[in-house]
Amino acid sequence: MNLAQLKIGQKAKIVSLDFDNKETRRHLLDMGLTRGTKVEIKKIAPMGDPVDLKLRDYELCIGKSDLNKIQVEVIK
Amino acid sequence: MKVALVGNQNSGKTTLFNYLTGMNAKIGNWPGVTIEKKSGIIKGTKHELIDLPGIYSLSPYSTEEDIAREFIFDENPEVIINIVDATSLERSLYLTTQLMELDTKLIVALNMADILEKKGIIIDEKKLEKELGVKVHKISALKETGIDELIKEIDKKKDIQRVNVLDNKIENEVKTIQCDLIDKHSKFIAIKLLEDDERFDKYQTKEIKDIAKKLEENYDTDLEEVIATQRYSFIEKVKENTVEKKPVKESFSDKLDKIFLNKWIAFPIFILIMFLVYYLSVGVVGSSTVDMVGSLIDSFSEFVQTELESIGTSEILTSLVVDGIVAGVGAVLGFVPQLIILFLCISLLETTGYMSRIALLLDKIFRKIGLSGKSLIPFIVGSGCSVPGIMGTRIIENQDEREMTTLLTPFIPCSAKLPIIALFSGYFFGENSGIVSASLYFFAIIVIILSALVLSKFVFKHTSNSFISELPEYKVPSVKYVAKDVFDKVIAFIKRAGSIILICSIVIWFLLSFSFKFEYGVDIKDSMLASIGKTISWVFYPILGENNWGATVSAIQGLVAKEQVVSSMSVISGLAEDVEEGSQIFGNGTLFGSFTAASAYAFMVFNLFSAPCFGAIGAMKRELGSLKKLLKAVSFQTFCAWILATIVYQVGSRIENGTLNIANILVILAILLAVITIIINSIKRKNKGCSNCPYCDSCK
Repeated sequence: MNLAQLKIGQKAKIVSLDFDNKETRRHLLDMGLTRGTKVEIKKIAPMGDPVDLKLRDYELCIGKSDLNKIQVEVIK
Repeated sequence: MKVALVGNQNSGKTTLFNYLTGMNAKIGNWPGVTIEKKSGIIKGTKHELIDLPGIYSLSPYSTEEDIAREFIFDENPEVIINIVDATSLERSLYLTTQLMELDTKLIVALNMADILEKKGIIIDEKKLEKELGVKVHKISALKETGIDELIKEIDKKKDIQRVNVLDNKIENEVKTIQCDLIDKHSKFIAIKLLEDDERFDKYQTKEIKDIAKKLEENYDTDLEEVIATQRYSFIEKVKENTVEKKPVKESFSDKLDKIFLNKWIAFPIFILIMFLVYYLSVGVVGSSTVDMVGSLIDSFSEFVQTELESIGTSEILTSLVVDGIVAGVGAVLGFVPQLIILFLCISLLETTGYMSRIALLLDKIFRKIGLSGKSLIPFIVGSGCSVPGIMGTRIIENQDEREMTTLLTPFIPCSAKLPIIALFSGYFFGENSGIVSASLYFFAIIVIILSALVLSKFVFKHTSNSFISELPEYKVPSVKYVAKDVFDKVIAFIKRAGSIILICSIVIWFLLSFSFKFEYGVDIKDSMLASIGKTISWVFYPILGENNWGATVSAIQGLVAKEQVVSSMSVISGLAEDVEEGSQIFGNGTLFGSFTAASAYAFMVFNLFSAPCFGAIGAMKRELGSLKKLLKAVSFQTFCAWILATIVYQVGSRIENGTLNIANILVILAILLAVITIIINSIKRKNKGCSNCPYCDSCK
């Protein structure tokens, strides 16, 4: 399961970041998307992309092309 | 003492900087407002304060993050004030854990104390100080509380013992590596070496790489991830011990986003807001204020003329003052009321946080043409002035997207081009002037889309990149700052009218009043300016349908400042500065009397899209980095402008004299459409391969 597959309001835990681009991966780690971090899909842009996530008490928007490289585990 | 202000984007750094130094640096509510470092003296002290661009980490991701990190390493500030957004403590403290590893005195300023209470958050600052081993002060940069204590802290010699962030295994290895480093910030460098950061390659050794490899085997993943994870685990623990949070209801921002980011009404609202901005500044409201100021300047001109004549000033000097200076400068000053409205609108879009939503709203569309949603911020700021717009492109991480946005931002009609639009559409299109002005903005948008498509397909050939951006909460803008922001921008515009435009107007008046034999009062056709213009006016023949030296020299002066085009035409017409009416400039018998609606529109198009003013060209040079790229970019712009203006005139003039009727236009459009479709399809086929195409054998 990756983050791009989740719907509004769903919560998940980060499992891994599968990026070829080292810089983007590093940036996402810096922004707090480390293994085990809880995220919630908060808002989705009107055209479906990018998606706004809530994590670590703030909101971060990420484009779909990156979201589908973030593997997660859904929290029920 | 040198004090650096370091913090996340949008954490209130610039607000604090402005309060401490009394300066008015730019404030907005979108991540990345401070694009270059700024410095000032803290009021009541001798300390120099440097406001650095916002960063999330000391391993830079975008250009502006590079600036901040380089400053800390190269300029060695004595004190770092780390401004921390208390409302998003977890993410903000990540940077703090990195700053704690530097050998520089560190003070944490816990900002937005005023909002904490509303959000039901209580932070024990004394406990936080202990947990981090760093002095902490609670402040509110906006409400200006707690700041005196913060300043006093700068002078205190004693620093407290910092705690270790990472786990013992890594901290021990860091100590070993640190022993061999003699440089300042050895702990920080040692950690970066373990992470294998290429910026510190000159310190890298085989021994360190071996240590890193062993650790990575131990943790079963790379050290970048291990260290980032450990920093966040440390912060989670600190937060648990120091922060109490009551559950809160849905926030105000979330409620607003249900409207502004709603699937169905987000776009109508966006279009409405943009329409309102231009209706107020360019449309009815704006132009009625211009008329008011115009008549004021008129009476001033008459007053000056009578006064000068009554005290016996010579004819030449009176002409210099009235026809040269007052006419040229007055022509530009008449547009100040419109600019105030435009700057106010842009300032409001920035400070409320709506600008960040626009980027989010349009990202998908912009991505299709090879740009980023963030490109819209430079475009909107650029409708005020291209220079800050171009500088704002630094928030775009991808280099290709950034360079394309830099190149395209000057295509947006900036405030200095407004006088050109107002003059021509006001005179030639009368009642329809509002629609004509608006049409130019749409024209600009279409040109930007087409240029972006062409550039991303054939020049940059880049693949679509990431959109990663913080979404700030909506804020009620501070009246004080918005007022000051608008005031400063308008003053800068007026100063330009008083300096560069003044000098140009004098030069134009001189070149116009004298012949090459230095005779005064020659017929305008024999003036120096006419001779210069005549030698190159053929360039504009396809745009104007005639060799018009006056229009030629005016357009070239657009390089100095776009509003100078209007000033120059007004000086050349040798008339009063009542340019809003346009009747004197374009009246029968004057040099510009032969302009028609078609050539007027074509001339506007040329001035809008050709090379921007020197100020914007300078900004482009800084962002593009090389002279070669700059020359390419400016030639591209001017070439586009010439071609478009030519098309407009050639088509427009044929409509005017009736040789081109609706039927003809429809046929031409149909042919064009067919050609474009064929080209687009062939590009698509090339990109996607032709799995479903039955026509050719090549890909079977």
